[in-house]
Amino acid sequence: GERGSSGARAAGGSGETGLWPASHWGDRVSLEKSLPLENAALPTSDSGHCTAEEAFASEDESEGSSSLSSEEEDSENEDVSRKRRPKPTQVGSGQKLGSENLTEETSDIEDLLKEEEHYKEENNYSTETSGALRWKEDLSRKAAEAFLRQQQATPNLRKLIYGTVTEDNE
Amino acid sequence: MATQTHCLSYAGCNFLRQRLVLSTLSGRPVKIRKIRARDDNPGLRDFEASFIRLLDKITNGSRIEINQTGTTLYYQPGLLYGGFVEHDCSVLRSIGYYLESLLCLAPFMKHPLKIVLRGVTNDQVDPSVDVLKATALPLLKQFGIDGESFELKIVRRGMPPGGGGEVVFSCPVRKVLKPIQLTDPGKIKRIRGMAYSVRVSPQMANRIVDSARSILNKFIPDIYIYTDHMKGVNSGKSPGFGLSLVAETTNGTFLSAELASNPQGQGTAVLPEDLGRNCARLLLEEIYRGGCVDSTNQSLALLLMTLGQQDVSKVLLGPLSPYTIEFLRHLKSFFQIMFKIETKPCGEELKGGDKVLMTCVGIGFSNLSKTLK
Repeated sequence: GERGSSGARAAGGSGETGLWPASHWGDRVSLEKSLPLENAALPTSDSGHCTAEEAFASEDESEGSSSLSSEEEDSENEDVSRKRRPKPTQVGSGQKLGSENLTEETSDIEDLLKEEEHYKEENNYSTETSGALRWKEDLSRKAAEAFLRQQQATPNLRKLIYGTVTEDNE
Repeated sequence: MATQTHCLSYAGCNFLRQRLVLSTLSGRPVKIRKIRARDDNPGLRDFEASFIRLLDKITNGSRIEINQTGTTLYYQPGLLYGGFVEHDCSVLRSIGYYLESLLCLAPFMKHPLKIVLRGVTNDQVDPSVDVLKATALPLLKQFGIDGESFELKIVRRGMPPGGGGEVVFSCPVRKVLKPIQLTDPGKIKRIRGMAYSVRVSPQMANRIVDSARSILNKFIPDIYIYTDHMKGVNSGKSPGFGLSLVAETTNGTFLSAELASNPQGQGTAVLPEDLGRNCARLLLEEIYRGGCVDSTNQSLALLLMTLGQQDVSKVLLGPLSPYTIEFLRHLKSFFQIMFKIETKPCGEELKGGDKVLMTCVGIGFSNLSKTLK
């Protein structure tokens, strides 16, 4: 469940709220996970820093992919950003992209270019940081999950050996 | 030590040695009922009676009551006395059966124990004298039981069913034991072994060595397997051969495996080649289980940790054997000691099977029978 930073932070916060009884834990986590997914799908779809074509393109993609799982969406986002990067040069050289609505005037193109560049920088910034810091997100929650998984997977030898009396003593 | 507390009561013949040894050390009398009560041949067996006689020899003032059929035993322990003792062990079990318990008791005698045990040195059931010599003695040294007089010597070898072996064991006494911290077994450094043969062709031992090496040579170059062919009066009364292997780690842990041929007239003849290969595989299995104490000595290590000074002892063990698990329960009932037991899954650096980290605080047992000099 790697997702946009907002959703992740929400889930991380719940992880930090600390020691839930093991039985409730699973429900809690899954609930927290599912919520941010839906929330976070929206910001990416309309975060398109509004050039006409890109807005369309990204909207199409996001509509198509909103039902997909988060990881696929992430990878597509990366694709989009990769596609966008070379665009300014292509547009400057000769408008070979022209499939959709590139029959526009040069001033528009220049505007577009400016906006593209502006957009590109921001986009780069956001994707790179989120990509780079993704493993750091939710560390406490991941640790808690790993601990509980471990705890449930290994048998309680003390209890097996000494019987249930020890539980009362402890 | 001789504090009169209420008697512990058990039923059944299992774990008789554990109960009697812990009873002796804790000073609590023990009553064992229903010893093979429903068996066609009820009551204590010869080897158990022999064990009780041995306990009587090394203690002073023990009270032992056995009912007519031998199905009920009451044991009120005396003080551990020690000194020079001779004992003829039953040939139904090997000397290892008796020696395992003596290793638990010997450090707490009034006088240093020197004992001559006669009987079967190697059989298929109990740990052989060779293995105990190679693994239990180094373990006792970790607890501070050491000295010139600390030795275990095989004078004569005896195989079942006839026996006729002879072993000398001497052990110094200690007032207190050192706590241990054995948490890192290290890596296997060398493998040593002993291929013995009595009353068969001396070539048997060489065949065992060849076949065992054929497996072990793939893993480590430092292997030496001694051959021990005893002759004449030193070879006991029955023919047989076998192999014991010991792997030593860089941190001084000894892991062992052994196999012996079928006793004469029982079962099919065993090929020395098969025996050597199987024994080598058993050693690999033991190394996979790993830990800082090999599985035959787990309970000995746990006992000495319990009896240590009031300090924390830690030991990393391989999977606990059923005998050890029952021993832990007995330790709880005799000494009110419960271990902290943590499972350590085999991670990156811990190769092999899952390990168990056992932690306890010693009860501060001190040897009251030892005379002050």
